[in-house]
Formats: sequence, C-alpha cells, structure tokens
Amino acid sequence: MKELDKNKIRNFSIIAHIDHGKSTLADRILELTDTVSKREMQDQILDSLELERERGITIKLNVVQLKYHAKDGSDYIFHLIDTPGHVDFTYEVSRSLAACDGAILVVDASQGIEAQTLANTYLALDNDLEILPVINKIDLPSADIERTKKEIEDVIGLDCSNAPCISAKTGLNVEEVLEGIVKYLPCPKGEASDPLKALVFDSYYDSYRGVVVFICIKEGSVKVGDHIRFMQTNTEYEVTELGVKTPGEIKRNSLSTGEVGYLCASIKSIQDIHIGDTITNAYKPCDQALPGYRKMNPMVYCGMYPTDNNKYNDLRDALEKLQLNDSSLTFEAESSKALGFGFRLGFLGLLHMEVVQERLEREYNLNLIATAPSVIYKVTLTDGTIKYIDNPSMMPESNIIEYIEEPYVKASIMVPNEYIGPIMQLSQDKRGIYKDMIYIDSNRNQLIYEMPLSEIIFEYFDKLKSVSRGYASLDYELIGYRKSNLVKMDILINGEIIDALSIIVHRDFAYNRGQAITVKLKEILPKQQFEIPIQAAIGNKVLARTNIKSLRKDVLAKCYGGDISRKKKLLEKQKEGKKRMKAVGSVEIPQEAFMAVLALDDDKN
Amino acid sequence: MTTRIKHLYVHVPFCNAICFYCDFAHQVYKNDLVDKWLNKLSQEIHNECKDLYETIYIGGGTPSCLSCDQLEKLLKLISPFSKNFLEYTVEVNPESIDIDKIKLLKQYGVNRISMGIQSSDDNILKSLNRHHSFADARNKIRLLQDNGFNNISVDLMYSLPGQSIEILQKSLEDICDLNVPHISIYSLTIEENTVFGKKGYKPLDEDTEADMYDLIRSYLKEKGYINYEVSNFAKRGYESKHNLAYWNYEDFLGVSVGASSKIGNRRYTNTRILNKYLENISNKDEDLILDKDDLKFEHIMMSLRTIYGLDIQRFNDLYKTDFINEFKDIIEGNKLLEIKDNHLICKDLALLNSVLLGFLP
Repeated sequence: MKELDKNKIRNFSIIAHIDHGKSTLADRILELTDTVSKREMQDQILDSLELERERGITIKLNVVQLKYHAKDGSDYIFHLIDTPGHVDFTYEVSRSLAACDGAILVVDASQGIEAQTLANTYLALDNDLEILPVINKIDLPSADIERTKKEIEDVIGLDCSNAPCISAKTGLNVEEVLEGIVKYLPCPKGEASDPLKALVFDSYYDSYRGVVVFICIKEGSVKVGDHIRFMQTNTEYEVTELGVKTPGEIKRNSLSTGEVGYLCASIKSIQDIHIGDTITNAYKPCDQALPGYRKMNPMVYCGMYPTDNNKYNDLRDALEKLQLNDSSLTFEAESSKALGFGFRLGFLGLLHMEVVQERLEREYNLNLIATAPSVIYKVTLTDGTIKYIDNPSMMPESNIIEYIEEPYVKASIMVPNEYIGPIMQLSQDKRGIYKDMIYIDSNRNQLIYEMPLSEIIFEYFDKLKSVSRGYASLDYELIGYRKSNLVKMDILINGEIIDALSIIVHRDFAYNRGQAITVKLKEILPKQQFEIPIQAAIGNKVLARTNIKSLRKDVLAKCYGGDISRKKKLLEKQKEGKKRMKAVGSVEIPQEAFMAVLALDDDKN
Repeated sequence: MTTRIKHLYVHVPFCNAICFYCDFAHQVYKNDLVDKWLNKLSQEIHNECKDLYETIYIGGGTPSCLSCDQLEKLLKLISPFSKNFLEYTVEVNPESIDIDKIKLLKQYGVNRISMGIQSSDDNILKSLNRHHSFADARNKIRLLQDNGFNNISVDLMYSLPGQSIEILQKSLEDICDLNVPHISIYSLTIEENTVFGKKGYKPLDEDTEADMYDLIRSYLKEKGYINYEVSNFAKRGYESKHNLAYWNYEDFLGVSVGASSKIGNRRYTNTRILNKYLENISNKDEDLILDKDDLKFEHIMMSLRTIYGLDIQRFNDLYKTDFINEFKDIIEGNKLLEIKDNHLICKDLALLNSVLLGFLP
C-alpha cells in the first residue's frame, strides 16, 4: 500500500452547544464525501447508540474516516471525531480533542454563542487546536450572521473572516466547510519514522475479539503482528487486527502517523486498558508517553441495585464492561438494608447517570433500582476526623458532627435580557450567590453565580430551561467545599426507615421538602391491602406525614371463555410492572419513588 | 377428540346499533350478510358439533336482532345438539325482542334469557348509544315473564360517565322490582377499540368505583341475591350453569365469528372479522397449545372468580399434582386465601388480581 502523506490528513472534531447542528453537519459531511451512500444514510448517523438517536443527543464519541477530493486537486483523508455536547460529557469532549489537530466550532446563527460553546472552545484551545468557526442555520428567518460573527470575535476572540456560513440542514455551503478544513486546519505533527506513540482515546468490549481500542497514531506506525506495550499499565500484546471506521470497519495491515483507527490484540483483561494511555512498540519504545487526560472525578453518586437480588454478579460484569467504554464511570459495592446488595456509582452529572442506567438496562438486560443522586459531602467530626459521604444514609449521627461542607460550583449562565429577572430569582432560591453579570451584546448577558452543586444537579437545570423558555444555557465548574447548615432527612414507610430514601437537605428547606416528598410518594406507591403511613423525619422529629389508603378493588371486569387470553395478558403486564419494584418488608416500592425525593415544588412554576 | 364436550357457545355478531362501550365482535345488521353468515355457520356447526350439550348459550352481538326466519334457521341448526340440555340461554335486547321471537325461542326449548338493560336512567342509556328506554325494557321483561320465561338475567353497568351513586342506586331498585333471578353487573372498562376508547373517555376514580361496587354488593345481598362470581348475582339455584363451566375451567366449544373454544390443552379463538370468517370458517385469531403450567394457571385464574372457589380434588386429578403442596408458599402467605371443604377460596373478590399475580408462572 502507498505510504500515506500526512500532509494530506486532517484530524478534527466538531464542537458545538447542544442543538446547534453538530450531528446534522456531520451527516452532511458524510454525504458530501460519499462516505455513506444515500441509501444507507440515516439521521444522526454517527450516533450509533439506540439511546442517542432516541434522545437526539450524542453521548459517545465516535470516529469516522472520510476521503475528500479538494479543489486544489489533491485527495485528503479526514478523521472526524464526533463529540457529545452536553455539560456532563465534557470529559468525552476533551478525550476527542486530544486526538485532533483542529476543530470546527459550530454556532447557531439564530442563537449566538452559548455557555457550552465557550466551555468547549476553551477546551479546544487548551489542547492547542486550530479552530475553524462555522455559522450554521443561516436559513432560519431569525438568523443574524453578522451579530453571531461579532459575538464570536468579541467573546471568544476568534477571527471569523473565513468562517463558512451554512445551513447543515439544507446542505447550503457545506462544501466551504470541507475546503476550510483543508485550508485552515493543520495536518498531524508527528513523524512516521519515529517510534510508535499512539493515544488510546476510547475502547469497548467485543465478545469475539476482546477489548477493541480506538487509537490515534501521534508518531510512528503500527502493523498487524507488532508487539505493543501499554505504557501506563506496562502490559504487552501482539496486534491481531487493525482498521479504520468509514463508519463500517475496514481492516488494515498497518496504521501510520496521523491515522485514527481501531486496534485489537486479544485483550481479555479489561483492567489493562486505560483511556488516555499511550501505546508504543515493545521492542522499539518511545521515550515518553503522551500526557493523557486529566482524570475526571465523578460529581454525582447514586446506588444501583438489581430488582432481582440474584442479578448482583450480572450487574458487576455489566458495570465492568460499560466502564471500558465510559471511563468516567466509577463504582464500588455497597449494601442497603432496604435494597440488598448493589453498587454505588459515580457520574459526571445527572444525564450521565440516566444514560448509564438506561444502557445497563437495555444493553445488559437488567432491571435496576436507582436511588436518588447525591453529591459528596465533607463531614468534620467532633474529634477532628474528616469523612467523605457519598451516600446520605451513611451520614454520621448529628451529635458527633462538628460541621458539614458541600461542593460549590461557579455557574455561568448565558441568558437573553428579558429572562434575567426570573433566572436571578431562581438562582437565589437555589442558594446561589450572585457574583457578576457580563455584557455580551445588547441582547444578552452572562450571569455568574456560586451555588451548591447539589442544587444544580437536582433541579436547577430543568428550571433554568423552563423559566427562560429554553433560551438560557448553563456551564459550571467545581470551586471547592463550603460549610452549610445541612441535615439528614429520613423517609419512613410503614414505620420503617428506608435507608435508600434518605437525603441530605439544607435545614431551612427541610420542612417543605419533607412535605413535598411524602405527597409525591403517596402518588407513586401502589396501594396495598392495608393502610401505609409515610413520614419524613429528622432524627426522631417527624416533619411531615401522609397515609396511603388501602386498596379496595383491583378487578371487576368480566371474564368468560373468550376473555382468558386478555385477562392473562393483563396480569402478566401487571407482573412485569412489579419487576420494576423492590419489595421492602411488606411494601413494594417502584423505581420512581427513589427519584421522588428529588421532586420538589413542581407547582410553583 | 374423544372426550365429550358439554358446553356450546354460539356467537351472533350482529347488532342494530353499536353501543359505545362494546368491544365484542359485532357488525351492524344487514339482511343479506346475516344469510351469508348463517350458511357458513351451518358448515361450522356441521364440522364441529358432535355432542349433546348440557348448556348452550347464544350470545352476541344481539341474537334477537335477527329476523324471525333467520332466528328460526339458527335455532334449527342447533336443535340436533339440544336434545338433552340443562340450560339454554339466548341474549336479547329490549328493542328487538318481540312476541313472535319469544314464542320461537320457547318452541325450540330455550329456557333462559339474558337481556342487556345497562341502566334504568334514560339519559345514561342515550349516552351509551342504546336505542331503548327503561320503560321499553320493563315491558319486554314482563312480556317474557307472561310467556313463561322466569329464568331471566339482566345486564347492568356501573362506573359510567355521568353516573352518580344515586343514579346507580335507582337502577338497582328498578331492576330488583323486575323480579328477575339473575343480575350481571359490570364496571365499564374503556377498551381502545370502542367509541368510548376513541373519544378518550377516562374511567371514574378508583374510590368512586369501589364505592359503587360496595353499594351493589350490599344492596343485592339485602334483596336476596348471592354474589356468586365477581360480577354476577343470583337467587339460589339460578346461577348460570353455562358460565360456571367457564369458571370451573371445563372444556367448551365456541362457534361463529370471534367465538373461543377450549378443548383439552388447546384453546383457540375464531377470527373476529366477519369477512374473514365468511372467506374461511377455520380462520383463527389465536390458536394455542397450552402446557401444564398454562393450564394450571388458567384453571386457578378462572376458578377463584366464584365464591365456590377451586375444587382441589379435581385439580389434583386433572394435573396429577398435589395442589396444596405445589402452591404452599403462595397460599400460606396470603391472607385473602382460605381453604374450605377442600376448595381454595378468595375471600375478597374485589382484590382477586393481586391474589392471581402470585400464581402466575
């Protein structure tokens, strides 16, 4: 095979705020380069997870190789590395960016730049990437190209004189983006003659081939049969398969500098693979590994328990495999009096948590109960020892607590002027401390607040969207721990504390939350053959109480010879629903109940 | 099939008008269509009916909407198999039953009539698309009684849109005044394929429905009716023998559009679509071979619907098992179940579903 000219390679990501048209632009690029025939084309083609298509979001990064015949007469190879747009998945974005030399920044001309646009752009700049701005959705009546360009220049400081103005939806001017990639984005820097240095940026488990590793060759080359070493874990393997994705897999005998592809080496041990590790040649190693990634620490924790206790080991296997593909996920075994044996999982955010649960259930066929998410509290005891609590039920007795600290974030909210009032009110309600307001243009401002992470992840984001009719955007970063007046609130069902329902609340909000939770639980818990009291309590003090009346009737329909199948199906459906519940003592608790502790003053808005 | 089947059901899929709640196989009456259907039915009866049946039930739809000639033709088709019966029921509705048809039924030995009345409130009748008043129904019941039909069952409904507890109470009083020995009373279930379902009707709240059920049970008990099955009430000795066969999970043969049969371990349902039936009488909607667990569960599900419960000896003989031992955990853990005279009984029929869930394989 002809040696690849690395000058004809471009490795790039598309970064954008959610809904600014990233996946649509990727679809158009794939079409224009004939990577995917019209027949095979479907929307969001790079979003291969079922969940991604359903929700219209990108969760996993994905890589594809394209060939482009440029106007300068040469053929180019593009590696497009698709990235997620949601704040939870910043880590995935930074992984993709480390494999790239350039990035396309897509901005919706009708929306302007958003909080995530900024955050992702800064990530790209941190990775020394060249950035090509692209103004999208210019076909919309509300598009304002000049204003958007000015925003990008003023707020981010990027030159927009060469920015293509396109409509990814209609395909208008998308060709200019491809030419822009050739002209303005750099080729890979490394030398093919140097020892192998490849970045591991993703992996997944395949039951036939073992772990499949996605790599970007930064220097040197690798071929099938080579002995390779993972530098961080110091393990060695023989390469059995190499290839690129177009997006279907195409096997190759070798991969060279600048190429992005996959590698298999009969790797059965999941533990040997670390995302961000560097692969080198075992006999001719490079002297220094790539810098890898900053380890992202989970911000949100929750317990996950199989509804069927016998599935505990299945859940562990599934978590191990999922972690390969999602290295920001952490887990360790825990047990609950109410729920039995399960795991405490750490996530980057609430969406991440939902996605993991759904993937576990769909891809690994598990029925799970997830408890309400919690942040990590830092608890200083009277004897001076410090404990980190990620499970509210593990909070020590109040008499031995000196004080509790909780994580705070700096939240940056971009918002049109007309919604500033409601957003400030909301932020204040969520214990936010106003810091600053930065002028973006005559129509929009950026608000800066400091507030507890727990408020952000639980409800703030949804409310932000509703009070601003979707126009406000949010980004946040951790700024450290601060003292708060926090207490543990227990929920008692039928007189029994359900440990998995305990939550940490600010003392000032305890009464209202107790009320809201008990009312919500009353709606959710199925009636039983006896009356069930539900209480919210701090220590021995009951703050709120309600009763679920006993079940009076559950069947009154007719059932003759022709109704047997229908009746049976109805019962089977009902039983299926019960599978999603956990029997705690004599009461059956459905999954929603564990999330109900998050449901608050819904009626306020 | 060598075992004798004792129960026959015949479905008449025609009505003069379609009630808004109805989910049965039905078709608006058309003279020539009925004739075609009778021809096909005659074939099916010829192929399938082999026994002298103990109970025969002609249901619908509305059997009484057939013309006298058509009704006689139907009764004639069945007559070779109705020589030795205990109970022979025909469903009628107030608007279409008349003195000629009553005489015809009598002539062919029919000894039990089931009349759909649904409510004694004329506004509610209208809202269900029923084309009769309560006065019409009362007159037809008297006509039946005057012509020698004493074993009459009346169908009522509750949990209907616009129906208050008071309206229901009035219906119960009016029906009891008719002096009929059997009442079936069903709560409205809103099925997708009905007019109510398509209009997006929502059921009454659970508490009101439970209040209504309580009222029905206590009122009819006071009037001397035994609540012998979830939705059925009878004076002693007037329980429906045909329906008890379903609830005892005995074998039965069903013929015509949408009719179901259970013969040994096979349970099937004829096509519910008239045209498909006319094309080929052996078209099926469902045809199942049941394994032992299916049979056991269905047997339990049906048997527990009555106050007589499940005959444990018969169950053990049929499935070569020891019922009490096999289901020990489920029976012992449930306060709603009791064993009396070697029968398993559900003590509160209103909560039967939760009991049955425990038995589902």
